[in-house]
Amino acid sequence: MAKKPTQRRLELSGEMSISTAGAIRQQLLEALSGAEIVEVDLGRVSECDTTGVQLMLAAKRQAAQAGKTLIFADHSAPVVETLDLLDLFAQLGDPVLIRSQV
Amino acid sequence: MSTMDDALNTFVAEGRELLEQMEESLLQIEQAPDDAGLINAIFRAAHTIKGSAGIFGIDYVVAFTHVAENVLDRVRAGNLTINSDLVALLLAVRDHLGRMLDHVAARSEPDAEIHSVSERLVEQLRNWLAAPPESAPRHEGEAAGSEVEIESRSDDYGQDAGTELWHISARFNIGILRIGLDPIAIIRYLGTFGKIERIVTLTASVPTLEAIDPEGCYLGFEFAYRSDADKATIENAFEYVAEDARIRILPPHSKLSEYKSLIDEVSGDDLRLGDILVHCGTLTQAELEEALVLQATIPVEATVPPLGEVLVQQKLVQPEVVDAALDKQKQLREKHSGEAALIRVNAEKLDQHINLIGELIIASAGINLAAARSGQPELQEAASLLNRLVEDIRDSALQLRMVQIGATFNKFQRVVRDVSKEIGKDIRLEIAGAETELDKTVVERIGDPLTHLVRNSMDHGIESAELRRARGKPGHGTLRLNAYHDSGSIVIEVADDGGGLPRDKILAKAIERGLVKPEQVLSDSEIHALIFEPGFSTAEQVNNLSGRGVGMDVVRRNIVALRGSIEIDSSEGVGTTIRIRLPLTLAIIDGFLVGVGDSSFVVPLEMVVECVELSAAEIEAAQGRNQLDLRGEVLPFIRLRDLFEIPQAAAPEIGNAQEILTQGVDDELAFLLEPVRRENVVVVDYAGRRAGLVVDMLQGEYQTVIRPLGAVFNGLQGISGFTILGSGQVALILDVPGLVRRVAAHEGLRKQLSLSEAC
Amino acid sequence: MGKSIMIVDDSASLRQVVGIALKGAGYDVTEACDGKDALGKLDGRKFHLIISDVNMPNMDGITLLKALKQLAAYKFTPVIMLTTEAGEDRKREGQAAGARAWVVKPFQPAQMLAAVSKLILP
Repeated sequence: MAKKPTQRRLELSGEMSISTAGAIRQQLLEALSGAEIVEVDLGRVSECDTTGVQLMLAAKRQAAQAGKTLIFADHSAPVVETLDLLDLFAQLGDPVLIRSQV
Repeated sequence: MSTMDDALNTFVAEGRELLEQMEESLLQIEQAPDDAGLINAIFRAAHTIKGSAGIFGIDYVVAFTHVAENVLDRVRAGNLTINSDLVALLLAVRDHLGRMLDHVAARSEPDAEIHSVSERLVEQLRNWLAAPPESAPRHEGEAAGSEVEIESRSDDYGQDAGTELWHISARFNIGILRIGLDPIAIIRYLGTFGKIERIVTLTASVPTLEAIDPEGCYLGFEFAYRSDADKATIENAFEYVAEDARIRILPPHSKLSEYKSLIDEVSGDDLRLGDILVHCGTLTQAELEEALVLQATIPVEATVPPLGEVLVQQKLVQPEVVDAALDKQKQLREKHSGEAALIRVNAEKLDQHINLIGELIIASAGINLAAARSGQPELQEAASLLNRLVEDIRDSALQLRMVQIGATFNKFQRVVRDVSKEIGKDIRLEIAGAETELDKTVVERIGDPLTHLVRNSMDHGIESAELRRARGKPGHGTLRLNAYHDSGSIVIEVADDGGGLPRDKILAKAIERGLVKPEQVLSDSEIHALIFEPGFSTAEQVNNLSGRGVGMDVVRRNIVALRGSIEIDSSEGVGTTIRIRLPLTLAIIDGFLVGVGDSSFVVPLEMVVECVELSAAEIEAAQGRNQLDLRGEVLPFIRLRDLFEIPQAAAPEIGNAQEILTQGVDDELAFLLEPVRRENVVVVDYAGRRAGLVVDMLQGEYQTVIRPLGAVFNGLQGISGFTILGSGQVALILDVPGLVRRVAAHEGLRKQLSLSEAC
Repeated sequence: MGKSIMIVDDSASLRQVVGIALKGAGYDVTEACDGKDALGKLDGRKFHLIISDVNMPNMDGITLLKALKQLAAYKFTPVIMLTTEAGEDRKREGQAAGARAWVVKPFQPAQMLAAVSKLILP
């Protein structure tokens, strides 16, 4: 009786900063409420501060609690940099392409 | 891109401006010692100068201003009431700062004199400080306010950890992000002078997406940090968050007991802190175990010593303090709400701009001339449009150079105050027309003459209080500075309600000095004008300037050099008004172009009243008298041809200039055929005096840029400058005030008077 | 592109020097001469950090700070207040308004750069 899980892709762009945190939380909530598997594309995120990191953690937590899957993908350089600084890759658990430094 | 050198120039310019404002406020504050706006303005001047001087590392300015600022801060806080002694001291401080700025401007080191005056003034300022004196601002690293310090245990108890790493433990209040502080920025900052060896980000407090406050802070950090920096530097990284965070900093090789108490303090987190310390590489597993054993053996008091702990002096805000400050600010805002947004422009750049516009005007005149010659209507139309636009640009550019005279007037508050004290008279200064605008260069050069006039009025115009009362006047004298615009000129008046000029004394002195012959009959105004004659006021009694030995003739010479004039209105026992009339601008004038032989002259248009033509009969009648009858009035005139010794042209050139000859020409062909016989008279008026200038040709209105005469022309009478016409020809600009005076002299009344200062 | 910083101070020379230092570090710098001027220059731009003097004509730094907190776009923007040791009262007032970052005048350009990097991500 396996039903194919609903999938959804969300693309975040611009700053993941305190001034956008409220709106991004809303976007993530909506994406999670409408699908079982959500892929969040971070390729066009220009900046990631503490609120951005926390939203990523909170979204993971939310998904886990609801038995859903939430994957962050295509981390942009600023996101990679911040997660690296705080050593959070392992905790978030998403595959990250580490770009070689230009 | 601006350079530090530019910035230093800006510093000097703004410093001088601030000192002026400071002086102005200081002079007003005696009348209104509680005016928060004034106090704040004075404080701000010192504050800003100190702040900017510091950034340039001009320490002697910083150290000196610092003490003054402290005194002013006490005034501002209401702990000190301002009185005339303090005002006098602060004025001295202000003057001293001015001298310091001179050194900064010259890029020279202050001399011993500066330092000794600084010391003396600092000494005096300290008398106003109740608190023990502080000679200089604290140095960097000693951040004031949120004092941050580490206290480590001084005793030797227990074993040291082997690590060379710092351990930093950081927890934040949930609201910290909302005040603009991001822990990540601080961690990055630490990375600029050290290396985060291992970090554990504590995420257990982060709620679900549904529950999270997106702007709250939930993260905590434990990290091992390698750096050669000293304790103070590392603490300093946290100075801004100190109030909204719990930060523990353990230096390398701290006692195991200190790690132990850290573990105890921050327990309850998701990971056991002991394990984190090991994970970070701060402690080895063995050290951790050793530390944990300590619990049983160390007395309680000793186990929780203040570790490397950031202590923050919690400062509670008292509502009444806030209210009072808000009130102050409100008053200040009201006071300043009228100020417009201004930008500062380098005066040199502005002059360059004006010069270019001058060239543009000349070029445009050339095009106009060529267009008229070409006879092409389209070209003429385009040229006239261009001309109009250039005129507009000229007007707006000149407007840029216009400044209000108020700042200059306000300087006299100080002069009047100081001189009053010095000579023991009670004199008040009234200022009117402060918003009247005039050219910057005029403003810059009017200061000295005005100072002379003001001092003169105070010294000699205003009587002693006793005499004033005897004359039924109020005991205090009044000096009035006034400015207004009057037909293309600005008029500046220095008026006093003093004794007026002693007519007979002046006349007697002038006769004694041989300036006037005893038998000459002079009107009152002519007698008054004698005080401007060279050689008149060198004696001490009537008109010296408080022993300065500078005569009023110098004043007039300065005014005349600005193409201005000066006149006196005085009545004995009532007072004297000295009226200075100046052109609004020095750079460009609207001129009236006239020709004599092959030469061209420009008469400032604002002084031209009309142009009349002399008939042959009138020329005959005027021979030898240099006067003509203009509608029943006697008009003295002067022939430019004679004055400048211009040879009679062999044959009058029927050139382009004559094509635009339009004015004052009637249709009598005879005159066109006999141009040599025809003479035109330009009637000029200067300060109520009229004179005629006899010329060959009237060439119409002409806009022109005044260029100063070079040394070669200095001493050339009747000429104030020259300009280059569109055709490339040079035209001399007539010095109408000088010519009018010369004509007046020819009238015979003042033949004896020297006119050598006409230029 | 570097982050945008606005420096608000009534001293043009101070703005110039801070501007030179910040531009040298790759920031994009805008100057304003007082609080009112600063508010006028916010429109349509995003500043990542505002450096403001406390004592200024027209609108002082504390009032500017309070006004910023009312603007959605600048509610959380970090603000560095410039002060003197003498300004303790104002400092308390500023802290009440949410200011935490203070740089004490006189300061060296390097101190300003350090303060800036403690507050914003590169």
